[in-house]
Amino acid sequence: MAHYKILGQDPYWMNFYGLMILTFIEVAAVGLDLSEFAADYDTTEKVLTLWILTFIAIPKFIMIAAIFMHLYGDADSGILTLTALFPAFFIIVMVLFVGLTHPDAATSLPAWCRPGYYEF
Amino acid sequence: MEKKTLITRSMVVLILISIAMVVSPAVNSLPNGIGYEQVKSGGCNCHNGVADTGVVVALDGLPEQYNVSETYELTISFTGGPSTDGAANLGGFNLWASGGEITPVDATVQSRDSSEVTHTEAGNDYRSWTVEWTAPSHGRNVDFVLHVNSVNGDGVQGPEDKWNRLSITVAGSLGAALDPADPFTVLATLIIISGILLVITILYGFYRTNPDAFDWEHLAPWITEWLTSTDHKKIGTLYFVQGMFFLGIGGILAMMIRLQLAGPEMGFISQDQYNQFFTLHGTTMIFLAAMPLIAGFANWIVPLQIGAPDLAMPRLNALSFWLQPFAALLIFTGVFSGEGADTGWTGYAPYIVTAGAHTGVTMWVAGQIMLVASSTLTGINFLTTMAVMRAEGMGWMQMPLFTWSILVANLMLFLSIPAFGVGLIQVYLDRTISTAFYDISAGGDPLLWSHLFWYFGHPEVYVVIVPAFGVISEVLATSARRSIFGYRSMVYALAGIGILSFIVYGHHMLTSGMSPTLRFVTMMTTMLVAVPTGIKIFNWLKTMHGGSLVYRTHTLWALGFIVTFTLGGISGMFFPSIAMDTHLHETYFVVAHFHYVLVGGTVFGFFAAIYYWYPKMTGRMLDEKLGTLHFLTAFVTYNGIFWPMHRLGVVGMPRRTHTYFITTEDFTNLPEWAADWNLFISVSAFLFFFSNFILVANMLLSLVRGDKAPADPWGGWSFEWMTSSPPPTPSFDWHNLPVLKDANEHIANEPGRVGKWFSRLMVPEDHEEVSH
Amino acid sequence: MSGDYDHDYHTPEPWGPHDWGHGAPHNSFSPIFLSIGIAIFLFAMAEAWSYGTYNPGNIPMILLGLLVIGFALFIWWRQDLSFDGHYEPLATGVPFRGVQIRKVGVWVFLMSEMMVFTSLFSTYMRYRLGIENCGTVFDRGMFDPATNPTGWQEGVAVTCFEPASHLIASSWWHLAPGAINTFALILSSFTIVQALRYAKMPDLDDEARRKKVYRYLGATWFLACLFLTLKMIEWFIGFYVPEISAIGLHEHDIISLVDEGYTINADHYQHHSYVDEATGAHMVANIQVSASLFYVTTGTHGAHVAGGIIGLSYMTFKAWKGLYTPNNAVSIEYFGLYWHFVDLVWVLVFPFFYLY
Repeated sequence: MAHYKILGQDPYWMNFYGLMILTFIEVAAVGLDLSEFAADYDTTEKVLTLWILTFIAIPKFIMIAAIFMHLYGDADSGILTLTALFPAFFIIVMVLFVGLTHPDAATSLPAWCRPGYYEF
Repeated sequence: MEKKTLITRSMVVLILISIAMVVSPAVNSLPNGIGYEQVKSGGCNCHNGVADTGVVVALDGLPEQYNVSETYELTISFTGGPSTDGAANLGGFNLWASGGEITPVDATVQSRDSSEVTHTEAGNDYRSWTVEWTAPSHGRNVDFVLHVNSVNGDGVQGPEDKWNRLSITVAGSLGAALDPADPFTVLATLIIISGILLVITILYGFYRTNPDAFDWEHLAPWITEWLTSTDHKKIGTLYFVQGMFFLGIGGILAMMIRLQLAGPEMGFISQDQYNQFFTLHGTTMIFLAAMPLIAGFANWIVPLQIGAPDLAMPRLNALSFWLQPFAALLIFTGVFSGEGADTGWTGYAPYIVTAGAHTGVTMWVAGQIMLVASSTLTGINFLTTMAVMRAEGMGWMQMPLFTWSILVANLMLFLSIPAFGVGLIQVYLDRTISTAFYDISAGGDPLLWSHLFWYFGHPEVYVVIVPAFGVISEVLATSARRSIFGYRSMVYALAGIGILSFIVYGHHMLTSGMSPTLRFVTMMTTMLVAVPTGIKIFNWLKTMHGGSLVYRTHTLWALGFIVTFTLGGISGMFFPSIAMDTHLHETYFVVAHFHYVLVGGTVFGFFAAIYYWYPKMTGRMLDEKLGTLHFLTAFVTYNGIFWPMHRLGVVGMPRRTHTYFITTEDFTNLPEWAADWNLFISVSAFLFFFSNFILVANMLLSLVRGDKAPADPWGGWSFEWMTSSPPPTPSFDWHNLPVLKDANEHIANEPGRVGKWFSRLMVPEDHEEVSH
Repeated sequence: MSGDYDHDYHTPEPWGPHDWGHGAPHNSFSPIFLSIGIAIFLFAMAEAWSYGTYNPGNIPMILLGLLVIGFALFIWWRQDLSFDGHYEPLATGVPFRGVQIRKVGVWVFLMSEMMVFTSLFSTYMRYRLGIENCGTVFDRGMFDPATNPTGWQEGVAVTCFEPASHLIASSWWHLAPGAINTFALILSSFTIVQALRYAKMPDLDDEARRKKVYRYLGATWFLACLFLTLKMIEWFIGFYVPEISAIGLHEHDIISLVDEGYTINADHYQHHSYVDEATGAHMVANIQVSASLFYVTTGTHGAHVAGGIIGLSYMTFKAWKGLYTPNNAVSIEYFGLYWHFVDLVWVLVFPFFYLY
């Protein structure tokens, strides 16, 4: 249970307002035509939207976890945050090993680890 | 108790066993396979569709009962039909015998093969023919089937020609021939007999609890208690019974596989059936035998060792057990339908989602999904218990090593099994509602399954070996009468194995064509695994070196474990090298390696655990002499099974193949001595299988008439030895929990630099209850 | 410790209700029945469908499985209903000392949930990056042996990755169900935390607390149901936009994903934009993998919401009976953690499956 206030107001309400605003920005970012901005940054609208959404997802994540899930401000918050972060390493391993690899032949390796590169 | 009742009850048990023996062979496991192929059942339809009774066929010269290997002269003749004297053609015949050898004596008869003769073109002009039959040597009944044509001689096939059939059985001295055994009938029969024996043993167990109250009024609440209990000791026992039962079933499967492989080109188990056999063997041994045995000991010992009255969530604990037997039912439906999973325990895609794989695969997947749920719940329960319910004064670094090993094993299992679960659900959906995760024609990537499976599968094989490490650490320290050498390094080695297990899994897929970068990465990390494992081996050796060893049965098993596990570890070091793996992949070298670590590691470790903790669990001492006999026979025969497999693998005997061929001419086939070694392996396997009945007998006999066990029979000093044998329920008094005191308390409780940083994150010590 | 564990002095009630004055239940029929139910259910589902073909006659078996599962949950909750916080074990182990044991348990459970969704996202990434996007294939233009040998041909299905967002994010109206769902989930996260707050409030009289708690829990339940309903509309049903000329709205139908042909067995899928302007030829695509990924990943999330609805039904009932007090209000927190986690997953699922 929260023992603190945000801007002098109730933390749950403030958090709720914040999340609503961020979600509105998300939907707006999808709905608005951003192709001119995208052209300025030398990319497509789709990629720009994805970046915006990813960057908004981070504060949303933190707000829900810290305030609604009580990972901030309680006596047990520290140790429970550690518990929640424990799988981080294993998540990274899975994303790297399973999500981002593809079947391939040895010819796709850099030259320095293929036969014939070193003269003996 | 009166002697008369005792006799009556023994009779009832005997009758039950006899009924079981009579009923079981009648269980016909296959809907489509068994029927004895009746040669000639189609009849002779060369001239007309139906047999005609107007043609009278005779076969003379056969005895009532033949003499073995004697030669008889047989005369075939017929009368009736359109056949008329003087025509060019009169008739023909075909004689077939189920045994012996039929040979022509003149030019009117020709031999088709040794069991079948027919007329020649010249023989067309006769109404009787003569042949010789040499009786077989086996002495079983022989069936003769004779077909005769009577033709009108116009040289044209037509409805005017008639034929008839004659079937004769000649008795042999040994009676009717035996049907060829069907492996699934054998397996189903053995499983049912084992099940019935288990029920009888359980009933006997109930009978022994109170011989005067052997009736339904007492049985019903007793059974209810076992079915509904949430006590960690009762659930541990249930796990243990399930594990031992399926260890037996997996053993039966292994014995039938070894029967098939005893000689080259054997025909007992076909390739299709063999696929199902090794799939069931692997699945049973890993998921239904090893894991429940580990969970059984973890349930029993972990709360006792950390001074907790029970697990954190007892009802969930009951749920994780009960999911297992019903999952086993789903997995074993295949045995009784004859369409069991034939994918191997790895269930590689895309075969697993194709219609070519048996329908039983879907049930296998469904059962595995339930096992995943079970393991997840177990993980939640044990991780929470070990994190939050340690006794006062027991920090992480004061936890006994067995508890540590269970903690590491559960962390690995818990964090990796969701990947397997997701993969299984994808396969289940692919096979039922036709999603396309592994459909190659739709762009699916079969290697994705391998990745998800081995992301779980490699931690999984450590999950079954790491608890054995813990057992050996406990057993050796107690037997050497000293504390374990290098406790901290043991803990760090366990944790290191746990972390490494997640980044090495690619070595199972080195030949699969996965990303070459990942291939290199996992090759390197796999070689690293030898480091923490080596630390553990040397610590055990040093523990013995500095201690004073007492040779109990569990000590013997621990020593056996160190030998076999080290050998298995050394053979394992061949595989990370990509070049070496390409040669050894999918051969018996792999089989030898993982049986050396799984049987010589896990099973030996848990045999040690049985001998070590059985007195604590039951309050009865096991027989040391029987135990030593078990160790000697099992250890020797075990090495007899798996040591020669290394050699067979190096010369290229492939695994997952139902037979092998011997020739000295063709270099792709195995050399002749491979057959000798396979026979040797099979004999050793049967000896090993039966030697384990010594253990079962030992446990049952001790339960009945073993010596009463003291609270601490071996001189151990962790918490479980401070309760009575067997411990009370709840294991510790909730109002008076044990407290761990350390002679070096000021050292043990002083946190280091990292510990101080961590302690800032922790709940303050004076916070007895967090109020919100 | 606030618990009382004198197990030996009362008879076990494996069917419930449980007398928590004597500690946690140490007998329950729930686990064994739940296992039987799950086994029957999985067996019947596997019998009922084979590679997309429905084998009739398995519905009773499926219903039986669900019935047994429901019965087991009934036993479980019948034992739980009387829980008044008298037994709430607290951790004794050093880093967690003083934290409620079951709260740690829920967090540990969430660790495995993280891995579940990581597996699904890894699958998504592997296919998204490994299979060529349909839009890229289309942009390469039509096949011509001389000038464009890698182009697509009319009538020959291309195997490519077609994200659902190509349909969903194509207009405001198509996105509406997903966008409303995002708000619904955040709102439900807020309502459940409000329920917790009022259940814990010590200076509230019992009737006021009862009303506050069951209304907030009921609101959460309603929002969860709304979520699933909108999901069904978006997947299967579609909806109708009326003519309101005042705000420039024109009458049209929003077609559901399935009716657009975006299905798990779509081997000749054709998006309305995949038409060659010069020749009017249509590009058809085999998009079974992408559709499977979309439906199974968002479906897994939906299944978590459905599980939440079942739990919320029980909790709303308990709150309606006025059985939540400051002593046992922390049970709402345990469910809330799970519920917030489902919300967090949606924060990731929404951009990656609905927008990108």
